[in-house]
Amino acid sequence: MTTMIRAQLIRLLRRKTVVLAALGAVAFAGMAAVTVFGSAKHGGPGLAGRAVTLETLTGHGGGTQAFATAASFVGFFIFVTFIALMGSEFSGGTFRALLLRDPRRLRVLVGHLLGVLVVAAGIAAAAELLTFVFSIPMAAARGVPTSEWLSLTGAGDALRNYVTVMAGVVGWAVFGTTLAVVFRSAPIALGIGFVWAGPFEHLVAGAWNAGNRWFPGLVLQSLIAGGTNDLALGRAVVTGIVYVAVAAVVSLSLTATRDVTA
Amino acid sequence: MPTPAVSLNGLTKRYGSRVVVDHLTLELPTGVVAGFVGPNGAGKTTTMAMLLGLVRPTAGSGTVLGQPLEHPATYLSRVGALIESPAFYPALSGERNLRLFAMVGGHDPDRIPALLELVGLDDRADDPFRAYSLGMKQRLGIAAAMLGDPRLLILDEPSNGLDPQGMREMRELIARVAADGRTVVVSSHVLSELEQVCDWLIMIDHGAVLYVGAAEDFAADSDTSLTIATARPDDLPALRTVFSAAGHAVELRDHQLVARVGPDDLDAVAGELNRMAFDAGIVLTELSRQRTTLQDRYLSLVDGSAR
Repeated sequence: MTTMIRAQLIRLLRRKTVVLAALGAVAFAGMAAVTVFGSAKHGGPGLAGRAVTLETLTGHGGGTQAFATAASFVGFFIFVTFIALMGSEFSGGTFRALLLRDPRRLRVLVGHLLGVLVVAAGIAAAAELLTFVFSIPMAAARGVPTSEWLSLTGAGDALRNYVTVMAGVVGWAVFGTTLAVVFRSAPIALGIGFVWAGPFEHLVAGAWNAGNRWFPGLVLQSLIAGGTNDLALGRAVVTGIVYVAVAAVVSLSLTATRDVTA
Repeated sequence: MPTPAVSLNGLTKRYGSRVVVDHLTLELPTGVVAGFVGPNGAGKTTTMAMLLGLVRPTAGSGTVLGQPLEHPATYLSRVGALIESPAFYPALSGERNLRLFAMVGGHDPDRIPALLELVGLDDRADDPFRAYSLGMKQRLGIAAAMLGDPRLLILDEPSNGLDPQGMREMRELIARVAADGRTVVVSSHVLSELEQVCDWLIMIDHGAVLYVGAAEDFAADSDTSLTIATARPDDLPALRTVFSAAGHAVELRDHQLVARVGPDDLDAVAGELNRMAFDAGIVLTELSRQRTTLQDRYLSLVDGSAR
């Protein structure tokens, strides 16, 4: 398993991808801090219908609140990225080429996914740290005190935000991988994933509010945001685990049993 | 008796009602360079994919390097393969791709420079894979297949899409990688591509075996004949009578006589026929030897199986 993870690191940790990921993390952190701090009001509603208020930002977790809130909006991007990364393995034949070296299919698939997640975890950590840094001048601009942010409780909140976001990333990764495994084609999987998690879930949830509690993409969005008015964090976690487990079973069983013809 | 490199017993693959590989039974001795020949859609790639654990047989059994097909993990470390098209990460260099696959296969990365040199890519090793020509991609595929110093090398249409120069280079490369006694299986739908490098032939069509055996035996079975033309076409029936009276089976075909002759008797019979024509006062304008090419014989086999 570690071999597959290391192999993926060879693939992903190239200068160009590292630079692009770093620039992406900086852009994400800057936009997150500016948007969340800029839109926060005294006791008023914040982003995603959840109360991100200036009072919330003053608390222990205020330094990484912008990271958690903004991360809930990039889930779709994470989703399509994983579809593209995993789908191209099937379209391009590299999954087949990997199996010629290691025929243990589940190990190859899971190791591959874990390798990409290791990189995602690094990018998320960098993004959280950068968001914290960008939040400091934004807090000063909005008159938000930051003394609580560097406390032990603040560090705990930062860790909790990181774990929550990574839980969402894992969920999106598993969903994306499942679509790639089912369709074995990056363009088809991307098209279906794009339509489902993009317009479909949001349009239907707009007309049917319960969709916010049941659609997989929206459940993960709520999870990453640490819970929303429609779906509390605890229930988002439980529902998300069920969906991810089902998706994992589908992709693992298909990988184990289907012929590799592409 | 040494263990065959590949042994198949009734290997079958069906997709629904479509039979792609039909009770394939054969043995491939170790150390041969085997041409795996059949028209497009004959079942070559599916058969190779079953040998490599990518596709599961519907029925039948087999062994690869003495290990059962059901457990590819027991033999794949000793098998190198290039199947369908060479698949690498486009953004990575040739060298980095090989390093990645060597890591996954648990192979020694120190072999990579020598392999790049073997396939003639040492000066382009740092270029991204996507910048390679088709021939270079195929050669990198062979280098990747050689990473584990395999005892069995399976190459699926390595010359596909190459120009004549590229095909010649590929034949030379196959001869090089086969030089140290490893077993090589090379598939193609064109026999003439392979006949210069193969000492063993497996021919299939519609998933079934047409021929398995030494290439020289297949060549020895080829038909040989003499073609005779006269200055005056009117002389042909008379000449035919003369030849037939002397015990030679001769056919009149397209203003020529064609005499079926064994390959070892060609020179002697040609001289005899020439003398008989001279004695009969008939002037010959052509007396030539014809040998059915391997490709002709292969095509006649395929045509026969199609009927």
